[in-house]
Amino acid sequence: MNVIEINQLTKYYGKHRGIENVTFSVEEGEIFGFIGPNGAGKSTTIRALLSLIHPTSGSATIFGKDCIKYGSELRRDIGYLPSEVFYYEHMKVLEVLKYSASFYDDVDYTRIQTLADVMDLDLTKRIDDLSYGNKKKVGIIQGLLHEPKLIILDEPTGGLDPLMQQNFFDLIRTENKKGATVLFSSHILSEVQKLCGRVAIIKDGTIVKIENIRDMQKHNYKKFTLEYKGVIDVHHFNLDGITNLTLEENTLHFLFKGDINRIIERLQGQALLNFLVEEPSLEEIFMHYYQKED
Amino acid sequence: MNIFKKEMKANITSLIIWCCAQVFIIYAGMMKYQGFIDSHVDMSKLMAGFPKEIMVIFGVGSSIDLTNVAGFYSVFFLYFMLLAAVHAIMFGAVAVSREERDHCADFLYAKPIRRFQVIMPKLIAGVISILIFNMVTFGASVFFISLHNNGDGMFNQVSLTMLALFILQLFFLALGAMFGAVFKNTKLATSVSGAFILGFFLISVAVDLYDKLTFLKIFTPFKYFEGSTLMLDNQLSFTSAVILLIVSVIFFALTFFAFNRRDLKT
Repeated sequence: MNVIEINQLTKYYGKHRGIENVTFSVEEGEIFGFIGPNGAGKSTTIRALLSLIHPTSGSATIFGKDCIKYGSELRRDIGYLPSEVFYYEHMKVLEVLKYSASFYDDVDYTRIQTLADVMDLDLTKRIDDLSYGNKKKVGIIQGLLHEPKLIILDEPTGGLDPLMQQNFFDLIRTENKKGATVLFSSHILSEVQKLCGRVAIIKDGTIVKIENIRDMQKHNYKKFTLEYKGVIDVHHFNLDGITNLTLEENTLHFLFKGDINRIIERLQGQALLNFLVEEPSLEEIFMHYYQKED
Repeated sequence: MNIFKKEMKANITSLIIWCCAQVFIIYAGMMKYQGFIDSHVDMSKLMAGFPKEIMVIFGVGSSIDLTNVAGFYSVFFLYFMLLAAVHAIMFGAVAVSREERDHCADFLYAKPIRRFQVIMPKLIAGVISILIFNMVTFGASVFFISLHNNGDGMFNQVSLTMLALFILQLFFLALGAMFGAVFKNTKLATSVSGAFILGFFLISVAVDLYDKLTFLKIFTPFKYFEGSTLMLDNQLSFTSAVILLIVSVIFFALTFFAFNRRDLKT
């Protein structure tokens, strides 16, 4: 069964494009990644699902029901973490969480403390005294408090340190094992790779691709940066699997997919000042997708 | 209930300040009355020396006997209207768009509630707030009038004046709420609200100054009730009351309609 079904969803803000013909579905029990650069339309899609905004055309259903028409009813079973976390500034953390819980039936209030312990959050602090990361934690807890069947997370990890991120991922996995479906939006590929089974990639308001993470990892690109002492012979890197090769003065950049030992072999005997191997940024991966389409 | 409580809490401090200001104005105003009386100056002659424009702006344009406590008090009505209008319209404009201004709309409206279930308690909180403001004005008026009127607080006339004031407050609350629902953000809604108050006031002054402009009367709520008619003749214009109430209901309806269709800001 599909928990979320989005069909040709389009949103224009006046003339300004939000999203165009977005179509994808999320199956029950999966952790679905939704990835794209900032401004690509992730939040627009999510906010339309929650009927915070009204789509220009197209439709979306959650649990088989139209998300605008049955909005308030559907939201009982949805936990949502907005990308921008703002709460009533003068309230204390505990007050905000209780206020949040007051909108749902049968909330287990002991969960506030349990979740706060996991996320290491001080419930007695005032919201305006919290750092960005701690505000995120408040957002995470208010989203998970009522044990929703569908969890929608919009850029949830910003501001969380690596240890907290790990705790947070564990929390999400636990909820998922208990039966919750998760829609996880992010612009960081590596965290989506860690958690999700399938991903939809969005760019400039349209879905570029929907893919299994495993398939995506097959084209496991690495980004190389080589800084030479002397002159660079570009032909030296005339290899299969090398793309986006650029040369600036004595620095060489390229993306490489394949056995990295072949690059290492080429470096034997070269006088290098610096040598970097990195995960390519999302933009660079997108470039690859566009190139494939063209 | 939770939203209602939240809204009341958010407004309690400002409401207390507004009420204190109102009590002070009535207190200070009635003190002046005592000063007038004690000085034994012929007020009508003194007033005649001022240009009409000035008198109109201060609300003493028509020939009211200021040595009479009811006449003196009736001049306050203009100030009550202005203060109460600013209070009510700002309440409406801010309450409706508060969450968007504070960037927590995503928090509130992602809860399992319909939009009207948010707007309704906010507006009820607004009605209660303007009622409290009205009651404080009422209490302070009766108290301070009785101090200068041999213990007679003119309960009936003041009640009628407060009823007129309340109808106006309701109108401005509705207008503010509609602006809050229609305009892009709180800042714009409050600016437009301020502009409308100023516009209404200027029209009411113009109407008093130039007979030719009398037809403009219907465009300014400040001309729907006259302090002197309320306090001296003990009469409230039924037509005015009905028109204002109907328009208020229309504005409230538009508020719900516009807010329901609104794309919420993050």
